[in-house]
Amino acid sequence: MKQWFKSGKPWIWLTAGSVSISLIAVLGLLILIGWRGLSFFWPAQIHEMEVRANDGSTSTIIGEIYETESIPIERLQESGVALDNFNEPTLERWLIKVGNREYVPLDFSWVLEPQIVRDETPADLAVFERTKDGNFYGYVVDVLEDGVSVAEQRSIREVLRQRIERAVELNGQATDLQDSEISAINYQLNQLRLERRALELAGNLTPAEEARIAAEEEQLRQDYKVLEEQLFALRDKASRDQVQVRDMRGEVVTLPMYRMLAVHFPNDMGFFAKLGHFFVQIGKFVSQDPREANTEGGVFPAIFGTVFMVLLMSVIVTPFGVVAAIYLHEYAGKNAITRLIRIAVINLAGVPSIVYGVFGLGFFVYMVGGSLDQIFYPEALPNPTFGTPGVMWAAITLAILTLPVVIVSTEEGLSRIPSTLREGSLALGATKAETLWRIIIPMASPAIMTGLILAVARAAGEVAPLMLVGVVKSAPMLPVDGNFPYFHLDRKFMHLGFHIYDVGFQSPNVEAARPLVYATSFLLVTIIIGLNLTAIGVRNHLREKYRSLEH
Amino acid sequence: MISVTPTENQAERLDLENLSAEETALEIRNLNLHYGDAQALYDISMAIPKNRVTAFIGPSGCGKSTLLRCINRMNDLVEICRISGEIRLHEKNIYDKDVDAAALRRNVGMVFQRPNPFPKSIYENVVYGMRLQGVNDRRTLDEVVERSLKGAALWEEVKDRLNASAFSLSGGQQQRLVIARAIAIEPEVLLLDEPTSALDPISTLTIEELITDLKEKYTVVIVTHNMQQAARVSDQTAFMYMGKLIEYADTNTLFTTPSQKQTEDYITGRYG
Repeated sequence: MKQWFKSGKPWIWLTAGSVSISLIAVLGLLILIGWRGLSFFWPAQIHEMEVRANDGSTSTIIGEIYETESIPIERLQESGVALDNFNEPTLERWLIKVGNREYVPLDFSWVLEPQIVRDETPADLAVFERTKDGNFYGYVVDVLEDGVSVAEQRSIREVLRQRIERAVELNGQATDLQDSEISAINYQLNQLRLERRALELAGNLTPAEEARIAAEEEQLRQDYKVLEEQLFALRDKASRDQVQVRDMRGEVVTLPMYRMLAVHFPNDMGFFAKLGHFFVQIGKFVSQDPREANTEGGVFPAIFGTVFMVLLMSVIVTPFGVVAAIYLHEYAGKNAITRLIRIAVINLAGVPSIVYGVFGLGFFVYMVGGSLDQIFYPEALPNPTFGTPGVMWAAITLAILTLPVVIVSTEEGLSRIPSTLREGSLALGATKAETLWRIIIPMASPAIMTGLILAVARAAGEVAPLMLVGVVKSAPMLPVDGNFPYFHLDRKFMHLGFHIYDVGFQSPNVEAARPLVYATSFLLVTIIIGLNLTAIGVRNHLREKYRSLEH
Repeated sequence: MISVTPTENQAERLDLENLSAEETALEIRNLNLHYGDAQALYDISMAIPKNRVTAFIGPSGCGKSTLLRCINRMNDLVEICRISGEIRLHEKNIYDKDVDAAALRRNVGMVFQRPNPFPKSIYENVVYGMRLQGVNDRRTLDEVVERSLKGAALWEEVKDRLNASAFSLSGGQQQRLVIARAIAIEPEVLLLDEPTSALDPISTLTIEELITDLKEKYTVVIVTHNMQQAARVSDQTAFMYMGKLIEYADTNTLFTTPSQKQTEDYITGRYG
């Protein structure tokens, strides 16, 4: 035994064990959120069940099984559920998503397994995705055009698909019109309003100016009317078709086609059809806007907001951090004050992030932003422009949060450069600044990238400070659009981290949201890994380029 | 006992005590140097003749490298270093307030103990000094590269791969590249700080031959701990011990008939 300890083997076991535990933890986490998140997109079977209630009456339930859990029988008996001839200690309980939100009181319902007397998965059951009120489950009965049936029973699915495609297409055109041209007119109208106000404040609002602005406004309003008519025409066209569906109550309901996004018949799909559907759903998830208070639809604005904010932060933090590190390492005297500053910088990394959020809100948003508004945007007051949380302040706040990381790793990189290279450059008549620019900084660039990687990893996952300085549940506009000056850094934005919090804990229907939480978490992790891998790729390239002297 | 046979390529003797102004490249007068409280150089005075190779020898820590680094003010980088006395280049003390260290170093090049090429291509390494001076004309730079690499006896080996990384060269080639880099800006004086100590014997030989060629255009000052090397390449040799200049004479004299006991002890291997 003593021999075994002396051999150092326990040490190897201990270290290797720690590595294994870390690896298992990381992989387990990734697999869990990946599995839970991705399985949400896999088309589930739609069950039609007959359920016998306690009083002996039966009802039909159509929906997909969302979750199963086993619960002790006592709990059910306590809550007054009578169960005859059932003797096992626990029984299965299924959570069924029944959809059809506008016709049933709850779109999720619990079903006890022994109460089910019939369970089928008929091939004709359809799932409709809708822009409003969530999914609809039922049997397609008829397709109506202006109230007249157009479906031949043989190809009713085909007809339905075509009509839905048409509706989606028309809706898309209407949305495009709204988002680009109509929103541009609104933007210009607002700019004109601000221009008039600015002239008024400066006392330069001459009648000629007034007339010019009024004329421009009139012109824009005319344009707006034309566009509005186009929009209404599109909407009219879209509301031409309807679909009749028999739901689980056995009633035939008529649903407007313009609310439909897609239809599929999951019980009638083969593996590859399901696989195709799976990828289409994932594509929609990452590319579409959220609907229904974030509980349906995609997360594109949140992805965009996260990436945009992180990139903006990188652009701010890198030069600042590098310059600060260069001063500390190259120019500052090697004395107690420098040491004190360095300790302060390192400790800055340990300040809780919410403190940065409070600081950002108080200092950047209210003080700096408020002053900017007073000086540059007096015409918009009392509406704040920069004096309100926005993507720029979020990026700056996170830049301060991640500054220590960049400073520390840049300094580390600077001190690793062999002094012979500095001397070599100086001996050729270079000044210290020239040596820095031409030799030192390029050679330290891999270390700078390392700092940036750590900064990005920290910033992309940060939520708490962002809630104070710019993140919102739902942003009507992206911070980048087609209206001059294209980048609107004063706008609020959506963020995946906050989205997870919002969907998981603030949504009206927590059951419905849980898979979305997993999917969004998985996406956030994927994006952070993606950003990191990009940065690591760049760093390895730089490392190869500036491989220092090792012979 | 180390046998040292001076070779024939050494130039005629000069009267080192009384060099004329044309013959002098550098003149060191009463140079004292302190690192903090410790004195590293004691009252050094010597004249280094033009277009000759002057070697500084002595045991480790005798101050020979420190003295060399005074000549292009490399010691400026050491914060705790204080210098008194003068080093005159063109009748001008290089430690005067109005002398720009960077400009001085363009005139007094230096090659270090270990090859220190920059992490750039061979071409960019050679033109580094030119680019610093704002020369970016491709034709001029091409000429400089060819002339300097030929001057450093490296041209034939690298002319087909000038854009390859300098790190792809061997140690000896790297050291010649560094010499090429130093002579690209045409300094008057070239300081070599143990330039072959990190190299293999064959590379050492190549560099030594190169040094002999270099003195046609440049004044060369070399620090070496290798006495045979000093004897082979230098015209004058200065022996230093404990921060003091013990003896300074032409190489033949110093190695064959040293006037000081300490010199004799050192070259006969009794210490060092």
